[in-house]
Amino acid sequence: MSTAISPKSKASEPEIDPDLRAVKPQSLMRRLFRSTGSYILVLDVLLIIAFGFASNNFVFWSAQNVQALLINGTEALLLALGLAMLLGAGAFDLSIGSNLVLSSVLGASTIKALAGAPDAAGNYPNLGVAIALGAVVCVATGVVYGIVNGILIAYFDINSLIATLGTMGVGTGVALVITQGGDITGVPIPLQEHFGLASFLSIPYPTMIAVVAAIALFLLLRFTRYGMRTLALGSERTSAERAGIRVKPQLVSLAAIAGGLCGIAGFIDISRYGSTAEAGHVQDPLVAITAVVIGGTLIEGGRVSIIGVIWGTVLAVVLQTGLIIIGVPSFYQLIAVGLVLIIAVGIDRYRVRHRGDR
Amino acid sequence: MTSQHDGTRHAGKVPQEKPGFDIAISGRHIAKKFGHVQALTDASVTVHAGEVVALFGDNGAGKSTFLKTLLGMIKPDAGEFIVADQEVSFQSIRDAQERGVEAVHQDLALAPDLSVVDNMFLGNELLSRGLLGRLGVLDRKEMTERADQALRDLSIKLPSLKVDISALSGGQKQALAVARAVMWGHTAVLMDEPTAALGARQSAIVCDLMRTVAERGLGVLVVSHDLPRVLKVADRVTILWRGTTALESPAADLTVPEVVATMVGYGKDAAA
Repeated sequence: MSTAISPKSKASEPEIDPDLRAVKPQSLMRRLFRSTGSYILVLDVLLIIAFGFASNNFVFWSAQNVQALLINGTEALLLALGLAMLLGAGAFDLSIGSNLVLSSVLGASTIKALAGAPDAAGNYPNLGVAIALGAVVCVATGVVYGIVNGILIAYFDINSLIATLGTMGVGTGVALVITQGGDITGVPIPLQEHFGLASFLSIPYPTMIAVVAAIALFLLLRFTRYGMRTLALGSERTSAERAGIRVKPQLVSLAAIAGGLCGIAGFIDISRYGSTAEAGHVQDPLVAITAVVIGGTLIEGGRVSIIGVIWGTVLAVVLQTGLIIIGVPSFYQLIAVGLVLIIAVGIDRYRVRHRGDR
Repeated sequence: MTSQHDGTRHAGKVPQEKPGFDIAISGRHIAKKFGHVQALTDASVTVHAGEVVALFGDNGAGKSTFLKTLLGMIKPDAGEFIVADQEVSFQSIRDAQERGVEAVHQDLALAPDLSVVDNMFLGNELLSRGLLGRLGVLDRKEMTERADQALRDLSIKLPSLKVDISALSGGQKQALAVARAVMWGHTAVLMDEPTAALGARQSAIVCDLMRTVAERGLGVLVVSHDLPRVLKVADRVTILWRGTTALESPAADLTVPEVVATMVGYGKDAAA
C-alpha cells in the first residue's frame, strides 16, 4: 500500500494501473491444455489400441465388440449430456439412474398393457401403438421427474445434490413398488429386433439418437440465447439475475431437458434388454459425472464441453468394457471409474486455480 | 415480421435529440424497514436529465438500500418514484430496465465465463432474422458490431471482444460494466461505488465516463466514498444520514470537509 500512496513510485504503476495491461495471447500448449476434450480423445485412442492388443485375437476391435461399445455408450452418453447441461448452470443431478429406471418401468408397463397377447406366430395386435405410447410415457416420465428436481432446486432453493439425492431415493422406491421388487420382463421382442438391437451401417439406432441429441445440445449451447443464458447462470447466478434473466424457470427447463434424456435412455434400456433393469443403473451417476467432468465441463458451471462429454463417455465405456474383455473381474471396473473421476476432478481443481480470478 | 430484433430497447443507439423528459429518476420520501432496522426513514434524491448526482453517506447510511429501491430490487414501505417524468412502481429489476434505468453494481454483475460481447448483451440478446431467430439463435455478428460501436463511443479499449471476461483486468471489467449500463439505459444509469476497486487512472476514466453519459441526456446517480473525485465530476450532491436525506445541494457550493461534516455530523447539528 505504501507504494500506492507515494506518487513518485512509477515502478509500481503497472500493479495499480491494470487498465493498460492487455490480455496476453495464450501459447499453443496452453490452449491445447484448456480444451480437455482433445486430451481425452488421445487417451481414448490409446486405450482402444492398448485393449486391442491385450485382448485375445484382438477381440476388442471386433465389429461385434465395437457395436456393444456403441450401445453401452449410448445410454451413458444420454445421461451425461443431461447432466452436462445442468452442470453448465451450476446444478448437479444424482437422480439420473433412478429417473431412467422409473421411466423404463412405466414405459414397459404401458407397452405390455397395450400390446395385447401375441398370436401363435408371435404377432402382437397393437404393437405399433403400444410402442409409440410406451416411448411417449418414458420421455414424459423423465421430463416430469426432471421438472420435480428443477422445482426443488430453483423454487425451494434446495441444494441440487440434496434435492436429487432425495428424488433418487423416491424414484427408485416408486419403481420398486410398481414392480414389487422384480423387473418387468417380456417386453415384445420386435422392439429389440427392429430398434434396440438393430443398426444401420453398423451403427445401432439408439446410438444415432444419442448423437443427434449431442449435436442438438451443442448447437443450443453455442448459438442460442437459451444456451448463453444457461452458461451465464452457471457462471455467476447473481449476475444473470441482475441482467433480468428469469433464472428459476431456466433451471427448471434445464432439469426437464436432463430428465427427458433420462426418459429416452429408459426407453432404449427396455428396447435393448426386452425388460427393465432396475439393479443395473445404480452406478449411472458415477459414470455420467465422470464422463462429463473428464470432458472438461466445469463443476462450478459456466463452461460446458459437449464434445468433451462424448470423449469422456467413450473413455468410461471403453475402460469398463476393456477391463472385462482382458479378464479383469467386473468389480474392478468400479474402482477404475471411481479413480478416473477423482483424478479428473483433481485436474479440474488445478485448472480452476490457474485460471486466475475464480 | 422481418426482424426478430427487440424493438422496445434502444440497443446501443445514441439519442441524438434532447430527451423528452426533465427528471430522469427520482425517489421521494422513501422509507424501508428490515425487521427492527429502519434502513431508510425519509430518503429523497432527484436526478435530472443530463446531470450527474452524487449520493454520499457514511457506512450504514442506507445508500445501497436506497439504490436498490430505485432499481426495484427492494420494495419500499413508503415513498414514490418518478422515472422520465412519470410516476412508477417497480416490482423487479426488469421493470426498471424496461423504463431505461440501468445499474453498475459494485460487484459488476458480469458473467466471467462469457465473452465481452455476450456480457454486453446478457438479458438483451439480439436474435437472428427469420426462422433461426424464432429458434432462439443469436445474431452474434450484429451483437459484436454493436458492442464494438458502444465501446468506441465511450472510448473504451479492450484487447478483444471474444475473450472470456475472466481474462480482463479490473479496470477493463469496470469499463465494460459501465458500457453495458449505458448501452441499455436510456433514462438513467445508477452506479454503486464504481471506483472502489480501481487505481487512480481508472478512477479518472470512470469519472469521465459519467460525464460522457450525462452529456447524452441521461441522468447519472453515483454512490461513492471517493469524495474528492466524485465531488469534482458531480453537478449536485445528495447526502444521506441514517436513512434520511440530510442535504441536497449543487456540488459547486460544497467542499470535501463540508460533505464529511454533514455525512457524520448532521444529526448533532440538528440536535444542537
